[in-house]
Amino acid sequence: MSTATRESSHESSHESSIAPLSQKQVMEFPYKHSTGETVGRFLAGLKSQKKIWGQRVSGQGVVVPPTGYSEIDASAGGEWVEVKETGTVTAVAKVHKPVDALHPSTTPFAFVLVKLDGADTALAHIVRDDLAKLRVGTRVQAVWQADDQRCGSIRDIDCFRVIA
Amino acid sequence: MNEPPQEPVKYVESKVYLPYDYIAGDYKARYLAALKDKRILGSKCSQTGKVFVPPLICSPESFAPCTEFVDVPDRGVITTFCTVNIPVIGRDIELPYVAASVALDGAAISIFALIQECKPADVRMGMRVEAVWRPDGERHGDHQDILYFRPTGEPDERPESYINRL
Repeated sequence: MSTATRESSHESSHESSIAPLSQKQVMEFPYKHSTGETVGRFLAGLKSQKKIWGQRVSGQGVVVPPTGYSEIDASAGGEWVEVKETGTVTAVAKVHKPVDALHPSTTPFAFVLVKLDGADTALAHIVRDDLAKLRVGTRVQAVWQADDQRCGSIRDIDCFRVIA
Repeated sequence: MNEPPQEPVKYVESKVYLPYDYIAGDYKARYLAALKDKRILGSKCSQTGKVFVPPLICSPESFAPCTEFVDVPDRGVITTFCTVNIPVIGRDIELPYVAASVALDGAAISIFALIQECKPADVRMGMRVEAVWRPDGERHGDHQDILYFRPTGEPDERPESYINRL
């Protein structure tokens, strides 16, 4: 479904001048993403076990979320490793003016990369509160959706919260 | 539990939402405004004389400015086309339908158009078509002012007349 509302006015088209013309548009469409087995099992772990799993792959250590292969030598990732729900922030991007229906929060928040304890790669997620305290190196912990709300999505973790 | 569940989640469903402010530049605004008066504007390359529809501010070929506006007829030739058999969300045109590139008479490039009033199987490269406009008073100066193109019944054009105007 796409909708467009016009906010325009033109003069009759004598070619000496033309009023600026603009259109506010919204493009929206449903998107069903096929997760594949490795990410699919990672998500199933979030949903039914409330656990965060990674895979140990050659050259990369423990990868979270797992891709199922090594980005170093393309060998298959085999061993599943559970990591903790606490970790350290490795990057921060604060969003002061969230865009409605586009961003995962309606109030100011921050995109973060979190290197979970036991993992060797960082997971992208959000932090909603204590944005002033948020730095590279800040310790954070996962905040989970309620048991009956988890549906097998990365958003089964609602956000990460700063732990003092 | 030393591994995640055996049964993977198969899909993640989401909604892609992209708000967008489209600002028509000077030339595109003139083009759209002219549609209201049932006129199709092109711009002429000051160096090669080629006419671009919709009007371009400079030629992508010669890089020379296109300073002169010209009217082109609302008829032309189908250069390429495709028959659509698969429904698209937000489109309610009866299937199958034909989407085509139409090189308007005198234009160096083609515009994208819907073809109606004929069987998709009868559409062919070189077919002569004409615009069907929204009725007077219902045109707003946007792309929907041209509802679709339909065959004129004139003899087909030969490939050499449109092969470089795809």
